[in-house]
Amino acid sequence: MTKKYETPLLDELEKGPFPSFVTEMKKAAAKNPMAADELGLLEKSFRDKVTYWKHGGIVGVRGYGGGVIGRYSQLADQFPGVAHFHTVRVNQVAGLFYTSETIKFLCDLWDKYGSGLTNFHGSTGDIILLGTVTENLEPLATILSMNGFDLGGSGSAMRTPSCCVGPARCEWSMIDTLDITYDLTQEFQDELHRPQFPYKFKIKTVGCPVDCNASIARADLSIIGTWKGPIAIDQDKVKDYAKKGMNIQEEIVNMCPGKCITWDGNSLNINNADCLHCMHCITKLAGALKPTPPFGAVILIGAKAPFVIGATLSWVIVPFMEMKPPYQELKDLIRNMWDWWNEYGKNRERIGELIIRRGMREFLEVCGLEPTPEMVREPRNDPFWFWKEEDLEKKPWEEFLK
Amino acid sequence: MEKEELKKAIYQLIEQSAGKKKYKQADVIKHFRQQGIPDADTKAAIRELIDAGDLIYTYFGGSYIELGEKRKGA
Repeated sequence: MTKKYETPLLDELEKGPFPSFVTEMKKAAAKNPMAADELGLLEKSFRDKVTYWKHGGIVGVRGYGGGVIGRYSQLADQFPGVAHFHTVRVNQVAGLFYTSETIKFLCDLWDKYGSGLTNFHGSTGDIILLGTVTENLEPLATILSMNGFDLGGSGSAMRTPSCCVGPARCEWSMIDTLDITYDLTQEFQDELHRPQFPYKFKIKTVGCPVDCNASIARADLSIIGTWKGPIAIDQDKVKDYAKKGMNIQEEIVNMCPGKCITWDGNSLNINNADCLHCMHCITKLAGALKPTPPFGAVILIGAKAPFVIGATLSWVIVPFMEMKPPYQELKDLIRNMWDWWNEYGKNRERIGELIIRRGMREFLEVCGLEPTPEMVREPRNDPFWFWKEEDLEKKPWEEFLK
Repeated sequence: MEKEELKKAIYQLIEQSAGKKKYKQADVIKHFRQQGIPDADTKAAIRELIDAGDLIYTYFGGSYIELGEKRKGA
């Protein structure tokens, strides 16, 4: 297919060392008119500095309240291929593990029923299938269902729970994030597919405090793996790190927020009672330090980026919870908080905002939780990293590429 | 209240408020709670109405329950 639109502004985004979504869209545009018109519309949006999309509305799949985000172009006459360009969210596999066969199935399906453009994965965690028309939604959902997939969450519902790779690939995972995510997804099917809350509710589970999914900043309910035992130390391996050039004092001891590590040049010691479980030493001295059981999770509540008061991190409400199937204690806790939120939450009010409005005391009472000193409000306080022009001039990625 | 009767009452509530007020599921549950209907019964009745396509979920900055016929021809 010949090029349908000139895209000088989008072409700029193909320059530089990173993969470009524009390049991928051009590939799709060569065989799919929807993708071609999407390129044209995006170029016009960039040129005019205006978005021409409307979203929401009444489209969906029967019985489902979520999973489809209706999108319509305001310039349907000019770009007829994207007059309707609905997004479909598909519940991702916990940990994001797929066989090649599965990926091919999803891509073929989307070439047939949609624009061919996908997003693996959206910030929600779902498989995002971008751009289809209303009449394709029902057959698409049926085929997905017949092949073991289901729609994800959208709107005022529990969103598709997501997690890190957990014990499948990570030596530090202290809880089975994959099983917890799968179990919660099955348990709360009604809340996932039938929007019944004042606003969205996100659950993210990570295996350790490194928090690779950034659950502490991105989830209303963060489940973060942690440990209670002392940190096991392999002194020989610590000495190896020192021999290979690591400055243990500077890079480990001085950077410990709990000031609980000492190093005499020969032996590393940790006062576990003062450890804040940040995992810095454990990750820097991989293989030399290791958390030990009992393992469980910290439960936190209430993160959201665009709060009226600014970005807000989750607040610890349970310092340690055993995480064994069927996770009944966690499920009961979640149901209690939902009941309270449904009763008092205003339209579009996240649970964290309700806690700020009505108070943590009331929240703890309805959840049946006793206040404890570990319920710290801000374990870390800056969820953003801002790059400046001069930072990029130094080409920091080259260091990583080495 | 019998389930069919409750379903009819829910449908009428949504029908009569169309164009005037949008109901979220929790609003419907609270409405019928005032008439002594248990929350679980209202929730189950809404579910059946949605599954039958008589009512649908819509999204306008939040999720609402509206008449199913709205989706026809969308």
